[in-house]
Amino acid sequence: MKELKQIINECKVLSFDLNFTRAKQWKEEKPGRVIVGYMPIYFPREVIHAAGGMAVGMFGGGDRKQIIKGDAYYQSYICHIPRSVMELALDKQMDHFDGFIFPSICDVIRNLSGIFKQHKFGKFVKYMDFPQNFLPQIGGVFYQQEMEHVMHYIKEINGVEVTPEKLNNSIALYNKNRKLISEIYDIRQDYPWRLTMEDVYHIVRAGTVIPVEEHNEILEQVLVHIRQNIGSPQDKVKVVVSGAFCEQPAVGLIKAIEEAGCYVVDDDYMLGSRMILGDIDATSNKPLEAISNAYIKQSQYSSSIYDVSNPKEYRLAKIVENRGANGVIFASASFCDPSLLDAPIFQNAFNRLGIRYIAFQFSENINQFKVIKEQVGAFSDSIKLWENEPAVINKA
Amino acid sequence: MKNTIYTMGVDVGGSYVKAVLMEYNQLTGDHKLVDKQTEKIRKRNPKDVVVDAVDMILGRNNLTYDKDIAYLASTGEGEMVEKKTGHFYSMTSHARGGIYFAPNAKTVVDMGGLYVRAIKVDERGKVIDYKMTGQCASGSGQFIENISRYLGLAIEEVGEISLKADNPEVPSGICAVLAETDVINLVSKGLSTPNIVKGINISIAQRVVKLLGSLNAESPIALVGGMGMNVGMLQAIEEQAMENKKKAFEFVSHPDAIYSGAIGAALWGGFRYYKLKEKEAAVVA
Repeated sequence: MKELKQIINECKVLSFDLNFTRAKQWKEEKPGRVIVGYMPIYFPREVIHAAGGMAVGMFGGGDRKQIIKGDAYYQSYICHIPRSVMELALDKQMDHFDGFIFPSICDVIRNLSGIFKQHKFGKFVKYMDFPQNFLPQIGGVFYQQEMEHVMHYIKEINGVEVTPEKLNNSIALYNKNRKLISEIYDIRQDYPWRLTMEDVYHIVRAGTVIPVEEHNEILEQVLVHIRQNIGSPQDKVKVVVSGAFCEQPAVGLIKAIEEAGCYVVDDDYMLGSRMILGDIDATSNKPLEAISNAYIKQSQYSSSIYDVSNPKEYRLAKIVENRGANGVIFASASFCDPSLLDAPIFQNAFNRLGIRYIAFQFSENINQFKVIKEQVGAFSDSIKLWENEPAVINKA
Repeated sequence: MKNTIYTMGVDVGGSYVKAVLMEYNQLTGDHKLVDKQTEKIRKRNPKDVVVDAVDMILGRNNLTYDKDIAYLASTGEGEMVEKKTGHFYSMTSHARGGIYFAPNAKTVVDMGGLYVRAIKVDERGKVIDYKMTGQCASGSGQFIENISRYLGLAIEEVGEISLKADNPEVPSGICAVLAETDVINLVSKGLSTPNIVKGINISIAQRVVKLLGSLNAESPIALVGGMGMNVGMLQAIEEQAMENKKKAFEFVSHPDAIYSGAIGAALWGGFRYYKLKEKEAAVVA
């Protein structure tokens, strides 16, 4: 078995391989294989897997890709991720992708799907609407039709008919993937020093660009290591990071938060990989319905879901409580409407509930974190030293 | 539970690593500075410099990290301190360090290598409010260090030499690059070294007094950080405050002011040590 350090180093390389080399190799290994790129927040990768394809995450170029052409497509008041995804496409780094899926996140991503269509990138471009109606017979049926559209596009490329058996097999593989990731988070809740948040990020992100079977092996190996009593604890506060579900912060920022005196015990960085809570039924003779029901009944809250009967602020408060966290860091991408519109809702609720928080904004290509480090450091100290005194309300 | 423990604080700045060993007395609150070490980083790996500084202190006092040190706290660039118990943000540490030097202080001015920060504190060293200078290096200790090198002075001499000035000339206080050019011009004009150094101190002191005004600072004011040891700077600040006349400030300086961050971190470390012990005891009960 590989050393933990080696696994992490391999995941670091995989997760920021902006040429998606492993996916390309995988496609070339066997005729009929297709690669479908998908944007955050969530996409049911099972349907691509069952159709003989591989879903590959498009999380932007972060601070590793200089934007030259991408800026021409977006105004200065638009977030950064669509620019870097455009840059990757225009630089032909995704030329081996057969199709692109843009889940409904916001207007910017809807426009990005239109630009991809105009440029005729790939063999298909799908803007995928997710249900905002949570009744299985209405929103659920609609969602199943959306997934059928995707399967139809892939069948047109490789002729593969998705059977319930194939789809159930794929669901089981992704169930395993989610369960393994969940166990990593559960171990970190009690022993966050065994694996840094930066390492977790690389390990989870690597899973979006390689076959799920390979990622499951990696996760199993990581777990063997972190079930052991490794590392030394430090006197840090536990926090939950919320708001970075689409455009990803630079890795330096993820690292800076922990260096400034916090252990991040939950987050929404790679939310799509952890969106479904628990297993999807892998034995149903209607597996699409099973995927749909899981989304409707057991998905994590997100800023692109408007489930009024299940307020997200209380769901986040529950995560804070369950993880034993001391506070929340709201990290929103600059100009990210879904995240920034949700922020006051969360903050008003947290003021009432007495949950400490701070808020700041980032951009994927910014790698200077001095100010953020100072803010996080002061937040951490205020909890460590003055936890019994009322928090000063952050008005940012 | 022991009432006296050893704690260490390591403050990693832009130019120096400062480390201290403290005897923390929970019962009396009479904490003692046992030993201290300053190491210039130069071109070395800061992580190695930290290890050297800590090892020197431990060696001199016949102590070992694992057995004898209850809490080692980092501050400043904390990631350079690999072996530690916890980390405190530099403002939190300097505020506590200021209260250690001047227990009645209501304001602490951290005059470090890269910026000046005025911090309002309560009697425990809790930060109430703060203001800091902008990004420009002309208000920083690094700037003084650069100028002293151009003038052929050791950094330790700068304070005393400034006291000998009789007709100082103040260079640009806006930009370090312009100020350094000004200094070259002053040297060419034949201005004496004490007058040049005093002029620079006045330039920085003007910024400090402005900062204190905008913070609505209260006396006594503890001057800490590397520049806090500079007697010439103290004199310049007192003079500028008098000239300002808006408020009469009382300033307090200390020869160990450069260690305020490390001392503050070590003291907060002691505080946290007992707090964590209390929590552990509560869980067991």
